Amino acid sequence: MSLNYIVAMLLIALGLYCLLLKRNLIKIVIGLGVMTDGIHLFLISMGYREGGIAAIVTGEMLENAAGFASAAVDPIPQALVLTSIVINICIVALALSMAIWVYHHYGTLDPSEIRRLRE
Amino acid sequence: MIEIAPIMAVFLPLFGAFLIPIISMVSKRFHAERACNWFTVAILITTLAVVAAMGAAVWGGGIMVYKLGGWSPPWGIVLAVDGLNLLIALIVAGVSSLVAIYSLVYMRQETRLDLYCVLLLLVTAGAMGITLTGDIFNLYVFFEIMSIGSYALVAFRRKWDSVEAGIKYMIIGSFGTSLILLGIALLYGMIGSLTIADLAQKLGQVAASDVVVPLALLISGFGIKIAMVPLHAWAPDAYQAAPSSISALLAGATTTAGLYAMIRVVYMMFGAFGVGTMFAIFGLVTMVLGALMALTQRDLKRLLAYSGISQMGYVLLGVGLGTALGVQGGLFHLLNNAIFKVLLFMCAGAILYRVGTTNLDELGGLGKNMPITAGLFVIGALAISGVPPLNGFASKWTIYIAGIEAGKAVFSLIAIIMSVLTLAYFLKAINAIFLGQRPKRLQNVKEAPLTMLFPMMLLAVLCIVLGVLPSLGIDLVAPAQGALMNQSGYINAVLGGI
Repeated sequence: MSLNYIVAMLLIALGLYCLLLKRNLIKIVIGLGVMTDGIHLFLISMGYREGGIAAIVTGEMLENAAGFASAAVDPIPQALVLTSIVINICIVALALSMAIWVYHHYGTLDPSEIRRLRE
Repeated sequence: MIEIAPIMAVFLPLFGAFLIPIISMVSKRFHAERACNWFTVAILITTLAVVAAMGAAVWGGGIMVYKLGGWSPPWGIVLAVDGLNLLIALIVAGVSSLVAIYSLVYMRQETRLDLYCVLLLLVTAGAMGITLTGDIFNLYVFFEIMSIGSYALVAFRRKWDSVEAGIKYMIIGSFGTSLILLGIALLYGMIGSLTIADLAQKLGQVAASDVVVPLALLISGFGIKIAMVPLHAWAPDAYQAAPSSISALLAGATTTAGLYAMIRVVYMMFGAFGVGTMFAIFGLVTMVLGALMALTQRDLKRLLAYSGISQMGYVLLGVGLGTALGVQGGLFHLLNNAIFKVLLFMCAGAILYRVGTTNLDELGGLGKNMPITAGLFVIGALAISGVPPLNGFASKWTIYIAGIEAGKAVFSLIAIIMSVLTLAYFLKAINAIFLGQRPKRLQNVKEAPLTMLFPMMLLAVLCIVLGVLPSLGIDLVAPAQGALMNQSGYINAVLGGI
């Protein structure tokens, strides 16, 4: 169980490393994606219960509400992660399309060379 | 009808954004290309009216709670509107309506205007959602809607400068929002709830050392959006390269929503008024650095960007003092900043529209060609520098007094010095643009069109009115300050005594 959290933190750290130290916009965008995936794994692990059941209320579940509550996984993190994955797709798609335009104008993806505005 | 006003204020711009493609298709068939823009203006003004309609119920001291789908908190999502929400919602809706009116002419030469309208409405919907929601994850989702919309708007022209600014803003901003998500995940793991009121109630019983990490993550995430100084790297580029109407929107609406999220989460949810001193110090650093950087700029929009950063420093200082007067001053300055900053960016846009450049070295003597723009710019510049009969003076004065009353006279002194510096760089800008030698090629520059001047005039009138009658502004701000500091009242109103 704690393996999940270790992997999640590793993913966040790796993403952060890519984001801060890589010299290529595509790799930076990948880093951003990896970092968010780490956060997603962290979120989903919090609601996970080994051998748990899906939190879908049916007739027989209602009869044994306490047992249902102790066996079901927490559905909220799953809803959150689902929302966040969709948002992340938007971000990655928009960032990649902007990277294409950057390459179109500058002929490079190196962020240290994309700084004409500051001059 | 008034019960559904909170959800309508979010729903109208959101639904409007999805209607635009259809309207665009229909209007192309009937050769009415401007239909999308007028539709946007109509939607945003309706939103403003809906927000204003909530005023009567909220200013009386009540808190409007709308339960989505009838699920009561903390299980369902709620929208909760108190004085603070209402003030910010008014600013956001007002600024975006004016920006939409301004864009009618300003963006005329651009292609794909329907996309511009969609994004403008989405940014407004996101900002309204942040402002009105009572659920922390909802706040994150709306924060992302607003942010993604504004990244796309900054890069809207797809020229080299806007793309460069857009991708910088995008990477820094997305990093910030993922920090917010991580903070929310940690909070959920600790408390097991997402309703702000419920979190506020339960966080009070948690040891202070446990909340430090999520608090820090949330502050840095929101700090990026309001360009607090160590996190401001994206701001000058984005403001300079974006279309001027969008710079105005960023300065007036998204920054305001970001600051709202920051104080709502830190002061109301965590109840962490102790963090205020840190805000005040960050505010001072922001103020000083912004003003010093603004002094050396040669581009008007970049200068305005740095001065916008500097003004957010005043807001942070006022809010960070943590006293009733300080928070009032900070929120009043937030309101005023949204007025004069938008006015100044619109003036810069008018110059860009007629002359084609905002480089101070290439401008000069435009006062003869554009007397109205010049007058409006001077009003905005004097207001932002805190010159007496205008609104900037009223709010800055409140902040100075609050600083002295809180026993931090040094902070007030630094703020006063920065105010003088603000006047200095704005006088430099006025001198470079409107006075002095007029280059030959600027002989035939005309005054900006009336559709662009109208929102600017409205803002200038507001500058003067709020300056001459500061009590009018205080009347708007005092309920907001009262609401921010009334944590138990908010919890009771939302949770209904659970």
